[in-house]
Amino acid sequence: MRPGEVTLEHASRSFLLRPEERARTLKELFVRRGRRDGARVAALDDVTLHIEPGEAVGLVGRNGAGKTSTLRCLAGIVPLDSGRAQCGGRVVSLLELGAGFGADFTGRENVFLNGALHGFEKEEIEERLEDIVAFSELGEFVDVPVRAYSAGMYLRLGFSIAAFLDVDVLLIDEVLAVGDESFQRKCLRRIAERMEEGATLILVSHDPSAIERVCRRVVVLDAGSVRFDDTTAEGLLFYHRLLGARPDDARRERRGPGVDVLGLQLRDSEDRARSAFRSGETVRVALSVAGPAERAVVAIEIRDSDGSRLFRTDTTLGAIEGETEVVYEIPRLGLLGGDYDLVVGAGDHDAPPAGTLDRIVRLSVSETFDAEGLVDLRGEWRVREREPLR
Amino acid sequence: MLRYRFLFEQMVRRELRQKYKGSALGLLWYLINPIVLMGAYVLVFSVLLRVADIPDYPLFVVAGMIVWVFFAQAMLAAAPSMEQNAPLVRKVRFPREAIPAATALVQLATFLVMLALLAPVAVAIRGSLEPGLLALPVVVVLLFAFVLGLSMAVSVLHAHYRDVEPVVAAALLPWFFVTPIFLRVEDIPGVSSRQWLGDLLEWGNPVAPFVSAVRELLYAGAAPSLGHLAYLTVAGLGALALGMLCFRRLGRELAVVL
Repeated sequence: MRPGEVTLEHASRSFLLRPEERARTLKELFVRRGRRDGARVAALDDVTLHIEPGEAVGLVGRNGAGKTSTLRCLAGIVPLDSGRAQCGGRVVSLLELGAGFGADFTGRENVFLNGALHGFEKEEIEERLEDIVAFSELGEFVDVPVRAYSAGMYLRLGFSIAAFLDVDVLLIDEVLAVGDESFQRKCLRRIAERMEEGATLILVSHDPSAIERVCRRVVVLDAGSVRFDDTTAEGLLFYHRLLGARPDDARRERRGPGVDVLGLQLRDSEDRARSAFRSGETVRVALSVAGPAERAVVAIEIRDSDGSRLFRTDTTLGAIEGETEVVYEIPRLGLLGGDYDLVVGAGDHDAPPAGTLDRIVRLSVSETFDAEGLVDLRGEWRVREREPLR
Repeated sequence: MLRYRFLFEQMVRRELRQKYKGSALGLLWYLINPIVLMGAYVLVFSVLLRVADIPDYPLFVVAGMIVWVFFAQAMLAAAPSMEQNAPLVRKVRFPREAIPAATALVQLATFLVMLALLAPVAVAIRGSLEPGLLALPVVVVLLFAFVLGLSMAVSVLHAHYRDVEPVVAAALLPWFFVTPIFLRVEDIPGVSSRQWLGDLLEWGNPVAPFVSAVRELLYAGAAPSLGHLAYLTVAGLGALALGMLCFRRLGRELAVVL
């Protein structure tokens, strides 16, 4: 097994629905084999995955889909019922903030404890101590017992340790969400660096933008099985449709050739990046596309959480060479509260076919109290009593 | 095991730090507790209720008692240790044996300190240095194997069956009283006429031979017989084997049951 390689072969693992039903006799301890009591729920159901060294894979799925269980099996924390789970080289998992910290240890002491738990020697940790401390931005707090830390500080320390030990496989579960935006960005940059050095990342997150920024591949889990395994853009779209409770409708979509969409960001009227807006606000969709193309065309589409198209428009950019910025401004957002997907496709010569997807971004609209539905057609009510005929 | 030396070191530090944190005397409590306990027993049994006419009786009692205190404290610390470290076990992969091993090591350190305090006193009281004392390290290693094995067993058993810790705690008190600490087995009234009772008290209880071996070394300067050493070896290795068996059987599912 090469360092950084990760495989799951027909991996299955189930848990008791009601653990207290587990037979607890001492006799069972020595004669048990095979017999299992009570209703069980499959957290992993015949999962087969192969991940190459240096890949970054996003793991998405609804709550209870088996994402965390997959990480725990890969990390070797929970054994499989059947099948195989293997990670090549050294594995570090970041499954919970502050797991493996001694509350009465200072941040610095916890670097050693955590490193030791992950199988590192004292000298290896000492070599990286300064990098870890610097990255964590903890300053003087690094010599304060972590008991006094905030959630964000726990994250910074935990992530810094995981990111600076020389690991081959990094398993990260949702924890990044705790950090502030700038630290998150810094983490994602650091992860990208580690991947260039050949590390493999498996990231569980509900935040599509985090996954989009680092992962090229997305695996969608549902009820313990792999439902989809392909590029990030398509995987996230599949996942969003799955959330819309129409799982069978999720066709795989083709990727547009020719023009690459490098970036997609939503901004407000003052050009600040945002993902949540109010009905009626100005929304700017900022794209960056790259050619070369003779006649580049980009299309923007807004879909509801079921994946149904609400709106689509396209424009011809003409010939483009290198990276080109395109902004599409919606002066007044005509959507009511809810989550939508804004999807961008690009093509050369022809408008990308409907449904083509190069980038996707989540657009959240805050709830309004005076209207329901999807489109914002709010207006004024006028009431006038008709004068009776004489 | 050697690969994880640094991990053990860290786990022991964590264990030490968590207990008695913020107390003025800190780590000294590890010594104060057993010393007060032993002082009380010595006072009761050598002054108030004289049970035996043994010269230097306090030395006699303490020499046996430190073994019992080591054993009992280790069991009490090991039984809930997995449960106390549940967040760690559920979220990080590392050899889980490190948890009960750390609690056993902390108790071993206490035991060694008391031994180091007691041994010169014993030698001074006896006024001679016998070659038999060379057997002491061997006995201590075997005693540690015994305590480590049982620590591993009770910790992993308690994780699966939460009745184990209260059972252990309840068993320790009567166990203490059937362990020959205040008297040699042969001096217990009624044993001289019933040989089987003496054998049962001395060999039926695996803690008793460890107690008598350490006591005879410190108090009398007498090395244990070969048969006695063989018993200690079997008990130590047997306990280790039991601990490892429990881990093999139950250790894999620890992250699930905790």
